[in-house]
Amino acid sequence: MRKITFYPALLVFILLLIGCSESNHEQLFDSSKLPRKSIEEVESIIEAFIMAEDSSVIEIPEGFYELNTQLILDNKSNVTIKGAGMMKTVLSFRGLKTGGEGVKIVGNNIKIEDLSIEDAPGDGIKAQHTDGIVFRKINVTWTNGDKSKNGTYAIYPVQCKNVVIDDCVASHSKDAGIYVGQSENIIVKNSLAFGNVAGIEIENSDNAEVFNNVARNNSGGILVFNLPGLPKSDGKGTKIYNNQILENNHKNFATPIGEGPNGNTVTMIPPGSGIVLLAAKDVEVFGNKILRNKTAGIAIASYQITGFPTDAPNWSPYTSNIYVHDNEYDRSKGFPDLTRELGQLVSLYNAHGKAKTQDIIYDGFWDQNLSKTIENNPMKICIEEANMSELFFTLFDLTGGKEEIKSNKNYQPFTNCTVSIATDTSKIQSL
Amino acid sequence: MILNKFTSWIAFGILLFASFSCKKETLEQVVAELPVEEENADGNFPYKWLSTYSFFEGELNKLRQNSELLEYFPASSLFTDYAFKSRFVSIPKDSIAEIIDGEINFPEGTIFIKNFYYPEDFRKPEDKKRIIETRLLILGSTGWEAYPYIWNEAQTDAQLKVVGGQTKVKFTNLNGKEQVIDYLIPNKNQCKSCHNKNEQLAPIGAQIKHLNWERNEGETSKNQLLVWQEKGKLNGFESPLSHPSLNNYEDKNQSLNLRARAYLDINCAHCHNAEGPASTSGLFLDYEETDPLKLGLNKTPVAAGKGAGKFTYDILPGKPDESILLHRMKSTEVGVAMPEIGRTTVHEEGIKLIREWILSLK
Repeated sequence: MRKITFYPALLVFILLLIGCSESNHEQLFDSSKLPRKSIEEVESIIEAFIMAEDSSVIEIPEGFYELNTQLILDNKSNVTIKGAGMMKTVLSFRGLKTGGEGVKIVGNNIKIEDLSIEDAPGDGIKAQHTDGIVFRKINVTWTNGDKSKNGTYAIYPVQCKNVVIDDCVASHSKDAGIYVGQSENIIVKNSLAFGNVAGIEIENSDNAEVFNNVARNNSGGILVFNLPGLPKSDGKGTKIYNNQILENNHKNFATPIGEGPNGNTVTMIPPGSGIVLLAAKDVEVFGNKILRNKTAGIAIASYQITGFPTDAPNWSPYTSNIYVHDNEYDRSKGFPDLTRELGQLVSLYNAHGKAKTQDIIYDGFWDQNLSKTIENNPMKICIEEANMSELFFTLFDLTGGKEEIKSNKNYQPFTNCTVSIATDTSKIQSL
Repeated sequence: MILNKFTSWIAFGILLFASFSCKKETLEQVVAELPVEEENADGNFPYKWLSTYSFFEGELNKLRQNSELLEYFPASSLFTDYAFKSRFVSIPKDSIAEIIDGEINFPEGTIFIKNFYYPEDFRKPEDKKRIIETRLLILGSTGWEAYPYIWNEAQTDAQLKVVGGQTKVKFTNLNGKEQVIDYLIPNKNQCKSCHNKNEQLAPIGAQIKHLNWERNEGETSKNQLLVWQEKGKLNGFESPLSHPSLNNYEDKNQSLNLRARAYLDINCAHCHNAEGPASTSGLFLDYEETDPLKLGLNKTPVAAGKGAGKFTYDILPGKPDESILLHRMKSTEVGVAMPEIGRTTVHEEGIKLIREWILSLK
């Protein structure tokens, strides 16, 4: 193992070199050109949500709807909410004065399709306690020039079962664009997430498949997290495949400029992160193009790295049972992030030389009840990439604390093994 | 210099225009039409007009209850932008509410009536007042439904308005200062943001723990649930001590901890409990919770987004100004402010209480 010391002069030099971080303000289309709907037309949509019954179809014609109250669908079954198209029906919540999200859905077998949601002060669209929820061809975004004013999640199913997110676009959220939390049986496919802090995030969820998506220009592309102390305590079973995870080098704007991370884990994500697994269980990552993410293509991390308390019932802080194989990497984009501690860790302490982008990093925490050493791969982290010797892999050793950070590039303990990850989304493929 | 003056005039003009257009919108949204024809009280709820229910005798805005209504007072009260509230329940004739497994089960046809009003001068609350809205909770055959009624400017009646609304309210506060509030009337489905138990609409104040207390009425003081029972409207109330009770957070004779927990229960726990919409957060603020982590002590947030501010923990014991909970109570920004609905101003007294409580925690 190589011991590395800290060079302040180098840090300053690199900071100067990459002083300006990326920010993205791109919109799919200009919604201001759409015809404004009258107060009566807007109220008729609010009423349609309130008066909806089982099997209702709520059609929202073309136009720009300025809402100052929430649209809530309450505990109904087999309801379809349908706009005239992502670029034709726009629900703007810029004037919302109260309420945690623009659109809220509770029920069973609900579909929402063909519309855009803009500028909700909290979350864009939230579905909770819903069995069967399909988001299809919806676009959720914020149009503020100052992104610190943007809301938290764009598309946000939580405590749901049988979730499909298909052909959607989520951009500019201050946390995750597509965020599936405390749910089970999940497909996220054919969707685009850009300009968010986190592109797509699966958190405390079971049985999820994330495929054929593009996550670009976020701070982090695709995240799988398990956080402590939640009613759904530990999620497992996620496949991430055939996605394009490109240039996720956006500055992390989850906290205002000049402020460091707060208690939200996403505020710690270093710009330039492709895939981040945090306290994740049973995850397979394959067939993805993980290109030009400046800090690390794939980060395998345990909750200890956050520095937060790690005691919680029915939950483990370690990432375990991970199978990473057959992905494409490209580390040709600049230097690793220095705005977040994890970026500094990569930049200064990786095993391939300072300021070198990494393809795969592993923070090297393991459950010492299982093994005395990490050398026999107690957490079952399996990496099978064709060109392993050409990839930049770093195993950190943080057991000595901040004062004595060590790292090495020996990937051998983590190769020549496989983990079989089982997911089954066959029942929701046709939703 | 000239240009500056010019642009400031334009800005002034825009401001003026904006304030006019706001006013217009407010009036349009709030002024209910006068009843054109008598509505028939045919028992098919909801009625379009509040007057049709005949809850009150004489002039409607005097809110003089008919003999069938029971007035009730929760020990602690949810903060709603300093609005005063008067609460009644109508339990149908020949029907009775029953306590089963620690909960009051109301018979079908029960209606809760909650009036939200502002005295013109808070120092003389019995004088002139403006009633803004009356919310009904009606127990039908398929469960509770919520209906917001908005009062007209003449204060003669209130009309059902499921889409809610907004209005400016002016009053003189207890310090003699004029205060203006942008009062928001929730839409029908927003009611359930708070009135929610396992995704079923449910009353909040009408739980045993909130009602099980003795209230002074003139010379005498009596437990409200005993009164209900004596009037033949409740079964199963054994004695005040055999049921849980929550104190009044304003009662300074109580301990700081009990007052703070009562405040958090009535203001937060309708969502922040294991069966409420905020169960996602793992932060449970009900009076019964004993696990420090679930109460938020040294607990990191989950989906708080910008609500977390600069802070790491929901409650950092001893450090109220580094606690997310107090940060969100102090904010009026949508997306940050808690509770998410029903509040556009800060509750100074509540903040003071919770600050002292967090300061006392170790």
